[in-house]
Amino acid sequence: MQVTFKWLKDYVEIDTTPEDLAERITMSGTCVETLEEVAPKVQGIVAGKIDTIEKHPEADKLWVCTVSVGKEKPITIITSATNVFADATVPVAVVGATIANGDTMTEVAFRGITSQGMFCSVEEMGLNTSLFSKEQIEGIYIFDEPLTPGTDIKSYMWGDDHILEVEITANRSDCQSIYGIAKEVSATLDTPICAPKLHPMGEAEGEIQNYLSVEIASKKCSRYHATMFRVKKIEPSPHWMQVRLLNAAVRPINNIVDVTNFVMLETGQPLHAFDYESLKSKKIVVREAGKDETVVTLDNKERALKPDMLMITNGTYPVAVAGIMGGANSEITKETELVLLESACFDKTSVRLTSQRLGLRSESSSRFEKGLYPNLVEQATARATELLLSIGACELIDGYIDVYPEKQQPVSIEVSAQWINDFIGIDISRKEMILYLKRLFIEVQTDPDNEDKMTVYPPDYRQDLEIREDIAEEVARLYGYNNIPNTIMGGTTLVGGKTRDQQLEELLTDVLIGSGYSETLTTSFTNLPHLVDLRLADEKDQVVQLLNPLGEDNSMMRNTLMAHQLEIIQTNYNHKNTRGRFFEIAMTYHHNDDPKGLPIEKERCVISAYDGIDFFGLKGLVERIFASLGIDGVEYKVGETALFHPYRNADIYIKDQCIGTLGEVHPIIVKNHRLPRRTYICELDCEMLYEAAQLEVRYIDLPRYPSSSRDIALVLDEGVPSGDVVKIIESHNNGMIESIDLFDVYVGDQIEKGKKSLAYSIVFRLPERTLTDEDIQGVMDSILKDLNEKLDAKLRD
Amino acid sequence: MHKQLNELRDAFHKSTEEIQTLKDLEAIRVQYLGKKGRLTIALKGMGKLSPEERPTVGKLANVIRGEIEKTIQEKKEWLEEKKIDLEIQNEKLDITLPGRMPERGHRHPLNLVMSDLEKIFIGMGFSIAEGPEIEWSEYNFDHLNMPAEHASRDLQETFYYTEDIVLRTQTSPVQIRVMENNRPPLRIISPGRVYRSDEVDATHSPVFHQMEGLVIDQNITMSDLKGTLSLFAQKLFGDTVKTRFRPHQFYFTEPSAEMDVSCFKCGGTGCRVCGSGWIELLGCGMVHPNVLRHCDIDPNVFSGFAFGMGLERVAMTKYEINDLRLLFENDKRFLEQF
Repeated sequence: MQVTFKWLKDYVEIDTTPEDLAERITMSGTCVETLEEVAPKVQGIVAGKIDTIEKHPEADKLWVCTVSVGKEKPITIITSATNVFADATVPVAVVGATIANGDTMTEVAFRGITSQGMFCSVEEMGLNTSLFSKEQIEGIYIFDEPLTPGTDIKSYMWGDDHILEVEITANRSDCQSIYGIAKEVSATLDTPICAPKLHPMGEAEGEIQNYLSVEIASKKCSRYHATMFRVKKIEPSPHWMQVRLLNAAVRPINNIVDVTNFVMLETGQPLHAFDYESLKSKKIVVREAGKDETVVTLDNKERALKPDMLMITNGTYPVAVAGIMGGANSEITKETELVLLESACFDKTSVRLTSQRLGLRSESSSRFEKGLYPNLVEQATARATELLLSIGACELIDGYIDVYPEKQQPVSIEVSAQWINDFIGIDISRKEMILYLKRLFIEVQTDPDNEDKMTVYPPDYRQDLEIREDIAEEVARLYGYNNIPNTIMGGTTLVGGKTRDQQLEELLTDVLIGSGYSETLTTSFTNLPHLVDLRLADEKDQVVQLLNPLGEDNSMMRNTLMAHQLEIIQTNYNHKNTRGRFFEIAMTYHHNDDPKGLPIEKERCVISAYDGIDFFGLKGLVERIFASLGIDGVEYKVGETALFHPYRNADIYIKDQCIGTLGEVHPIIVKNHRLPRRTYICELDCEMLYEAAQLEVRYIDLPRYPSSSRDIALVLDEGVPSGDVVKIIESHNNGMIESIDLFDVYVGDQIEKGKKSLAYSIVFRLPERTLTDEDIQGVMDSILKDLNEKLDAKLRD
Repeated sequence: MHKQLNELRDAFHKSTEEIQTLKDLEAIRVQYLGKKGRLTIALKGMGKLSPEERPTVGKLANVIRGEIEKTIQEKKEWLEEKKIDLEIQNEKLDITLPGRMPERGHRHPLNLVMSDLEKIFIGMGFSIAEGPEIEWSEYNFDHLNMPAEHASRDLQETFYYTEDIVLRTQTSPVQIRVMENNRPPLRIISPGRVYRSDEVDATHSPVFHQMEGLVIDQNITMSDLKGTLSLFAQKLFGDTVKTRFRPHQFYFTEPSAEMDVSCFKCGGTGCRVCGSGWIELLGCGMVHPNVLRHCDIDPNVFSGFAFGMGLERVAMTKYEINDLRLLFENDKRFLEQF
């Protein structure tokens, strides 16, 4: 909401600077986002009357003018403008003056004649060109009325004003007006306020009944107030009103339309003026649109209406979209003789949805959307009537029509002064509270027998005040939020902290960071075709699809973290970054078969790497994670994740439960997505990981007896996994085997084709005595026999 | 015999004078003390001596043996040290060459900020609460006292999965779940992902992060809210940071406020980061009685406050990151700066 400092001063006494005012109302709840002087650079532009105008003797396209600018002698101005004429009053930037772009005028000679300044256009005066007509912005601006030469244009056109851009919170629709904000200023500064002058409207009905009847046929209109005027003259509105409108960024049009806009800015109530004769009926019916109805709005666009949109009709067809924009069929023109002035209250949601669906927003709709109160309707009419009559635009046709089926009921709130003190944490008297509330026009009734109780009556425009907490806020904000002491909470002491899972997540993060992996952050959106392309999903998969995504690319909630990691790798590889090591711990989202449940969310950890790493590098990291979380008994089985190289991937199992997968990205996907040739990814289910974690540590006595080790080199078929060999060796552990370590893998000339050699070092130890050769030999024999029988393993020569 | 032994002694001392290597020294040791060494042989001849001579010769022989052993030991140590001295000469380093840093990963700046905040609040007795990101619209709006027709429920503002299920637009529904399932006293924070239908630009993203907090107990006042949040701001930005509270409006709270902190870069005089000297940090207020009542907490017995802030904004302000998209791009050169 844009308000001007001087306009505020029309209603409220302001004994301070615009800057101080902005600061103080911000701290009392009316947040000033920006404060700017209008046309800050412009100075010294004055009104000039062109006395004579002649062709430049030496130049075809230049004119030499003598101009009175309020000094002893007229000055000479050379111009190339073609729209100026003798006796015209124009803005003149005299020598020393500064125009909007910051240029300062000096004397300039044009073919032998010196120009002592220049005439100005709208833009050079620093005015917003969008608020003027095409003729007005092309060429030199010519004033409608003769001004005294020498009049300072800056103060004439803007009144040296300041513009405050104010943020209005959703509950304060009453502050969407200059007068509404003036009331806040008055409460904040504790200075008197002066209400705009209203016309005494007298009795309802009267002569107007000969012209009009009004019917409300929808609950979306709570009040419709109509008055009628006989036009005396349609002309530009008075200069003072135009200045106010221009500073509020509203384009002046004519005296009648300008009054409706002025009153809307001043009171917050949108008004609409119809050309009565072009309504072609004697009635107004407010109803919802019928099927296939259309209306051409004032911006000359045809609007197709939907059945629940609220319309103002002449009983037959729409003449305005209620609360949003008038129809072109009933617009005020130069020929208008009778004006019907509408002041009405429409449902905020209806206006918002209609405006949204039509893609049509206006100053009016934005005010209705916030919610207006029906009592404002008659004040706005009385104010508009006062202005229309006082500027000589119209005469009032006696009486008015007011359809107001359900009157707004006054509200009262019971509140205890002690409770306010206790709730806010202050200690002020009830008397002081009442003073604050009175400054906000909130009436308070006290009970002489009860020093604590207050019965509070908010004014009709404060629909946000409903409960005692609302009253506590009003007291607190006028007392000053920053005068409330800062205290430390008393009451029960709570320990706080992280849950086991949250601690494990922290540990997992630490392990990954400590291992050289950097944390990433990606969005939660993806799309099914992309996952299908990466072979991470099937087109028929049940996934979490949004009803209203931002584009098809972001239409699905991801059910894997791997796709985004590939994008990260792609980005980094593309940027020629080497040694990519990344991870992210985040949620994935899954379809819930139970239609009554929310989608299922799973916390997962994804790890990715390229450059200077191989399958075992990533597997080693995964093993590090398990070791750090105290998880053992992990098994790796070749899996079927189609994203991966078929021979370089593993599904990871803990106690026969698959908790994740790791692998090298399939070369075809690498090729299609321009990824590094060797790209590795792992995804783990965090909940399963945390569940399996075992962080309790118990000390085991250090061994007192020496160990013995035996190395064996086996020759096996190339396809036999080492894991199977280890399992068989492990199965012979009668308490003597301390560790089994693979230390060599060999394939080559030294052994038969199709075979490989695996060498293990097996360490034996007993806690209670030194082992003998016989002890060990027995176990070794049975291991070798078993390996031979089950895997056709032979000792290498 | 005496003479023989003295000659042996002189010969030994003479031969050790020139010794330069451990190998030669060992040869001399064997020559004198070995099984067939000169002193060993000489001692074997002792049997032939008369009983009178034997003790004096024996004594001399032992003295000489001790002398030889001692000299060899000393010589050995000297030679060993000399050898190390020589080796050291070949081990000169240019210590100005760079060290080899062990590789480490980096935390994402947003999560750094999140864990800073978590630590501060945990220190004040808060726990961390979590809840679903895909949430009942009832929990995201209605239970938070959001009017039925409010614009934030529009399809243009909020992502919908079904008519009744939305991507949460704030982490506040977590607070409702906590209040429904636990009784006061409560002190929780709920950090997490939230969603709003904004196109991506330098300051907006449809996915972003918030941290909200909630305190419910008996006799919690607005001055407690101010004290707690001011203390938090000082722990986050330093002891000299000042706070100010401006009245505001949220459906979830009444009274409501926004808290600004004095700029931690310029100290509040106004700079490129803050503009006016103040940085808007969070929204807060006293929990609305309708919200408490919905969770079956009696507003006549309990009161509380809630607050919330956007973590992207805090991270961007703290690290002077000028484009939000950088946070989601994950360029290594960006990530490694934190």
